[in-house]
Amino acid sequence: MSAPTRSRPSVVYGVLIAALLLAMLAGIGFGAVAVPPGEIIASMGRGLSGSMSGTRDALVVDVRLPRVILAALVGACLSGAGVLYQALFRNALADPYILGVSSGAGLGTMIVFVLTAEATALRYVGVPAGAFVGAALTILLVTRLAATHGRLDTASLLLSGVAISYTLAALTSFIMLFARESMATLVFWMMGGLSGSSWPYIWAVTPMFLLGGILPMLDRRSLNLMLLGDDRAEQLGVDIERLKRRVLASGSLLVAAAVAVSGLIGFVGLMVPHMVRLVLGPDHRMLLPASVLGGATVMVLADLVARTILAPVEIPVGIVTALTGGPFFVWLLVRGGDRT
Amino acid sequence: MSAARPTMSTDPAAPGLRFSRATVGYGETPIVSGVSLEVGRGELVGLIGPNGAGKSTLLKTITGGARLLAGSLQIAGIAHDALDAPARARIVGVVPQSPPAIFSFTAREFVAMGRHAHLGRLTHESPADGAIIERVMDLTDTTRLAPEAVNTLSGGDLQRLTLAQALAQEPQVLLLDEPTSHLDLNHRLQVLDLVRDLAEDGLAVLGVFHDLDLAARYSDRLAIVASGEIRVCGTPPEVLTPQHLREVFAVRAVVGTDPVTGTVSITPVVREQSAVTPYRETVFVLCGSGSGATLMRRLVLDGYRVTACALSRGDVDRSVAEALGVEFVELPPFGLLSGEQTREVERLAHQARLRVVCDVPFGSGNLANLEVVERAAGPTLLLGEFDADRDFADGAATKVWERLAGQADSVSAPSDADVLGMIRGMLESDERP
Repeated sequence: MSAPTRSRPSVVYGVLIAALLLAMLAGIGFGAVAVPPGEIIASMGRGLSGSMSGTRDALVVDVRLPRVILAALVGACLSGAGVLYQALFRNALADPYILGVSSGAGLGTMIVFVLTAEATALRYVGVPAGAFVGAALTILLVTRLAATHGRLDTASLLLSGVAISYTLAALTSFIMLFARESMATLVFWMMGGLSGSSWPYIWAVTPMFLLGGILPMLDRRSLNLMLLGDDRAEQLGVDIERLKRRVLASGSLLVAAAVAVSGLIGFVGLMVPHMVRLVLGPDHRMLLPASVLGGATVMVLADLVARTILAPVEIPVGIVTALTGGPFFVWLLVRGGDRT
Repeated sequence: MSAARPTMSTDPAAPGLRFSRATVGYGETPIVSGVSLEVGRGELVGLIGPNGAGKSTLLKTITGGARLLAGSLQIAGIAHDALDAPARARIVGVVPQSPPAIFSFTAREFVAMGRHAHLGRLTHESPADGAIIERVMDLTDTTRLAPEAVNTLSGGDLQRLTLAQALAQEPQVLLLDEPTSHLDLNHRLQVLDLVRDLAEDGLAVLGVFHDLDLAARYSDRLAIVASGEIRVCGTPPEVLTPQHLREVFAVRAVVGTDPVTGTVSITPVVREQSAVTPYRETVFVLCGSGSGATLMRRLVLDGYRVTACALSRGDVDRSVAEALGVEFVELPPFGLLSGEQTREVERLAHQARLRVVCDVPFGSGNLANLEVVERAAGPTLLLGEFDADRDFADGAATKVWERLAGQADSVSAPSDADVLGMIRGMLESDERP
């Protein structure tokens, strides 16, 4: 790699925020009914002032706006979780989907969903909580596997991830049998989709994103030192065991937030941090916020593709990310990009 | 949160490190016991010893990677378990054996990581931090690497950057684990000169060394870690004796003084395991001034029992013979062989199956050796041409040599011949009942 040149933070954030806003405008504007940007802003203004009128306002404020915001949040969560797990495992191929953590969150979601069949109001709290427990237990299992061999090499990381995902997916399918009446919704959810987006989802996910995505910024330098290995990080003054617990908790919170509302969407946490790292380098002071912003943008665009490419049929966004992320992952694996 | 982190009050009068009757190890398993060792400020102490003896375990106890099972350890006057990782990192810097570099941080970012323990969660690197980073990069000759990605650099560059990273911690104690293993000769001396200077300025340095010459050259004191304890501790000449080297490293070595640096210099001669092979035959070597050093070593390695003539103190052949366990007779410097010493040489020469006379000049001091060989029965191998340049005994040596060369079972050969092969051949053709 050539000598990296570091970009100015203000420029980077300016570009990334502008890209996200443009993607969101596009996400709201395109669809079965196109809405020009001026109209979008006018509708949002009427929505804020409580003077909405007509179906176009409702389409913008109640349908497309929550959808792009949720897409942005989910993308931000997955991408942020990818960054955290990659630091934890010192491996750029670590991603919530590949490690099986998404499946763990999925299983937790499914269990709570079935248990609350009689009390659906509990789901807004119960489903994210179940997803968090599932994600946390899974990542603890993966780190325990890693601890038995010191640094988990790429092969064992992927193998344990595959084994864990399959097992958890089988359990999830098994539990799904107890909720036959909502099977179609659940299958669609497992494929990864944002079609059910609504404002209550956003209220559930936002605090999880803020906790899991913002708190690790306090550890931005510690995360860098973690890449040098546990011993070295400790020698340089990082309380490594506590840091790991914080990273595990934050990562699980982010994955849980994403999975609870959108099911299993793969590879975002792999692709986005990798591309950010190529451009900005591995420093978490930039990598984490830039990946969060980039992940949001990518997910808004992926969802736009999922909604429009076969319109009026909508495909799960998980299929879009897997179709681009899968080959990307194979390419990374072949060229040995797990150590960038 | 304020920019300045509280520094636990270190005692400027206390030594950098003080182990008192310490037992260190992993889990409940002790690795090194009964360690009482101080590293004063301004002092560089070297740990030497065989692999796996526990040198690194001692270092790791200081940084929390290994446990203190008994006794005490104070770091700059503070009990070691009173320090958490950040507090310790503000006092102790470490240069590990092989630093990892799997991510593409720039060299400057890498060095700046050394400031971590001095920065709060919300504080950024200040101009003062930047000045420290620049200074340590200048000291370690890494300034020109600043914009390079560390995963593209050589092991030597990375090692110097790791030293810079440790110095950026502004430590009072510096721990080195084989600090120069990846460095070329020039950078090795440069890094150790720098560490030496830092010690002169008040840093307490404890380093693990494998290169004994470098350890001797740069350390104020050395400690040998072996068989679960500190065997010896003292100045390099006190510690690096042939006897200690033989006991601890199982190596027979010649210990001398480096003529340039004036420090201890060590030449390993044979490994103990090689030297204890069962003796095949006894060969007597008449040598001196280094003419027999190589031959004696080859013979010992080949399994022969070797004896030698009278050799004087200060002679290389004498040091080598001593290291090899070769039996020889002590010759006073510039002195003559006494009657008793001559009889000793005679005994050794007679007992041997074969005598080898190396390409050595003869004077009044060692002529007696040659006469002893002449009187002994059995095969003799004479090496090198004998001319007037080799005779400092007014022709007396030439006469003895000529008589020896005339004996029926004598063989003459140039000194660069396959001496070992010839010895083997001569012993086979001289099978006695």
